Amino acid sequence: MTLFSESGGITRRQFFKGSGILLVSAVITGIFAKIGFDASAASDEYINKRIAAMYTLDEKMTLRKSHLNPEIAQIYKDFLSPGEVKPLTEKSERLLHTKYGKDIPALIEELKKPHEPGAQPGANHAA
Amino acid sequence: MSAILTEGVIKVEGTCKTCDHCTSVCPTGAITGLLGQKHKIEFKKCLNCGQCLINCPFGRIGEVSMMDQVKAAMKDPNKYVVVQEAPAVRVALGEPFGMPVGTNVKGKMHAALRQLGFKQVYDTEFTADLTIMEEGTELINRVYNAVGAVKDEHAGPLPQFTSCCPAWIRYAEINYPKILPYLSSAKSPQQMFGAVAKTYAAQKLGVDPAKMYVVSVMPCTAKKYECERPEFISSGYKDVDAVITTRELADWIKESGIDFVNLKDEEADKLIGSSTGAATIFGVTGGVMEAALRTAYEILSGQTLPAVEFKSVRGRKPVREASVDIPIKALGGKPLTVNVAIVTGTKYAAPLIEDVLAGRSPYHFIEVMNCPGGCINGGGQPIRHDAY
Amino acid sequence: MSDVKGKVLKHGDSTRTMHWVHLLCFIILGLTGIGFYWEIGFIENIFGGGANASLVHRWAGVVFLAGPLLYIFFNFNRFARFMDTISHITKDDVGWLKVMGGYLPFIKVDQVPPQDKYNAGQKMLGWLIIIGCLLMILTGFPMWLWRDAVPAVFLSLCYNVHFWTAIILILLVGGHFFLAAIHPKSRVEFSSMMLDGYIDAEISAHHNEKWFKELKQDA
Repeated sequence: MTLFSESGGITRRQFFKGSGILLVSAVITGIFAKIGFDASAASDEYINKRIAAMYTLDEKMTLRKSHLNPEIAQIYKDFLSPGEVKPLTEKSERLLHTKYGKDIPALIEELKKPHEPGAQPGANHAA
Repeated sequence: MSAILTEGVIKVEGTCKTCDHCTSVCPTGAITGLLGQKHKIEFKKCLNCGQCLINCPFGRIGEVSMMDQVKAAMKDPNKYVVVQEAPAVRVALGEPFGMPVGTNVKGKMHAALRQLGFKQVYDTEFTADLTIMEEGTELINRVYNAVGAVKDEHAGPLPQFTSCCPAWIRYAEINYPKILPYLSSAKSPQQMFGAVAKTYAAQKLGVDPAKMYVVSVMPCTAKKYECERPEFISSGYKDVDAVITTRELADWIKESGIDFVNLKDEEADKLIGSSTGAATIFGVTGGVMEAALRTAYEILSGQTLPAVEFKSVRGRKPVREASVDIPIKALGGKPLTVNVAIVTGTKYAAPLIEDVLAGRSPYHFIEVMNCPGGCINGGGQPIRHDAY
Repeated sequence: MSDVKGKVLKHGDSTRTMHWVHLLCFIILGLTGIGFYWEIGFIENIFGGGANASLVHRWAGVVFLAGPLLYIFFNFNRFARFMDTISHITKDDVGWLKVMGGYLPFIKVDQVPPQDKYNAGQKMLGWLIIIGCLLMILTGFPMWLWRDAVPAVFLSLCYNVHFWTAIILILLVGGHFFLAAIHPKSRVEFSSMMLDGYIDAEISAHHNEKWFKELKQDA
């Protein structure tokens, strides 16, 4: 029976087509990888922009140090440490400080007690 | 007991696409599931930080919302509703309205909140300044105690860790309870605000604190957990009633038909609304550190800073360190080298914590923020899809 | 030319092996992919759960890529000839496409222009499969190996491209399977790729005339 088959070699044109498609695939892979890298860089950029915006806001403010905020001085003098600016008074400890972990239950008990004579009306109505 | 406290703030929805991207952004490995398997959040480990939520490629992670409570309070004639907003909100709130990323919308934010009907529009930056006063003084006391300048049995150990990030607090409570004594006892600005609003402000405004309802606009989902914590009742009431995120505020503004982009700038209300640049940078990694240094330097030295900025604590690297020489007035002007570290990304805190517990930490003060870059990249911020 | 007798060796051993490997991989990939994407219980059960289905899917993907690469490496000549054939588009191919080779019942045709080793339709399919497989591989590996490193937006792009390309490929392969194994006029080619590699010379002489003319004879 007659058997027909292809001859084995390749022509120059076939060689170039074969190599060409491999090259194109490599290029496409490279482009895709570049898209990935660019996306990685771009997807993080928003953080830098928001950070820059915050520092710019800081630069534009007239007051840039916490202890120079006049309302801060006022809350200390009027309320937290009457007559002076003194952090860490007993009132500050109660209102502005807390405890963590296993110290919390005792703190809650402490806070549920009335604060001091002359405390706010309804000070016993804890959450 | 609030559902938030028993079940957490962050939930994976049933339609998880099993891509497994979230497990790499979770700082504590609280997400279980392999590639191809529906993922779940283990509440016992979850910090409520919301990093998984903002990084899910398919938006399949959600959060508990307190918007219904807030809207009900706004409608309740018996409630006097006031609001505070974190620094980080004002450079991101414009994004859902098409404004370029990082646009400062501080003035529009205050204006929009007034239009939504809040009786007082304050600013968390006020209590950020207050935090610096309290925490800064606490640090100074610890340092004086450690160098022998003042004997104070109540002073805590060094290094002092910042305590404004609720995800970091929960991380420490769950994973490193031994580090808790090192944390500053100062509350976060959000919680300090609630306490002074329902005492100091209520008194000055002549408002019955029982009727005051404090809302907090935050870039953070962990703040929802924080406000529910049972110990935050210093005012005699629940200090902060509800927290909404930047995203939720943007949606609410849109629903209300407010033309946000064209609002005229407005200032915050006085009394507990004014702020400084130091307070503003709280939203950025290194910001709390820099704010604290600005005040600590001037208080300790009795001098004005030659330059206001501490660029050495700024940057994006997950762990950064810096040294600042501060002349101590109480020691006759002798300089003390204060070593500080800044961590952005809770998972990077572990080695520093181990060093502290082993007694080999070189630092006096360590700032830990859970979210990479700081609160400006918090779990409550507008979600970005930038690819180019 | 019904007087042509004999057989043609159309596809050699390595080609047929590669085709079988690729075909089996495709079936496994399609099944596991659909299984864990749509959470289809009985498919997941075959593999033992969504996570296992995903595991099988990934490694089948490795073979899916490695198979053709090995084939190209060891049989560059055949690969080159194949690429040459499918990229050689002439008026004859256009003419074939206009009547879809006479395979469609509603287009009546007496004569189709002479074709190469692959007819115009097969050439088109060849390109679509190559492009499709390239897309699947390019989007598949990042979702597995670099799912932690790439940003969320890139990952969702990969997922979408991977999904839609899969749908298109499954449809194409479905059509390819139908013509290759079921349609009475075209399934004569079946054994040439799936079994011994041979086809009757009479068929090639008619259907792949331009190619047949260049073949050498062995008595």
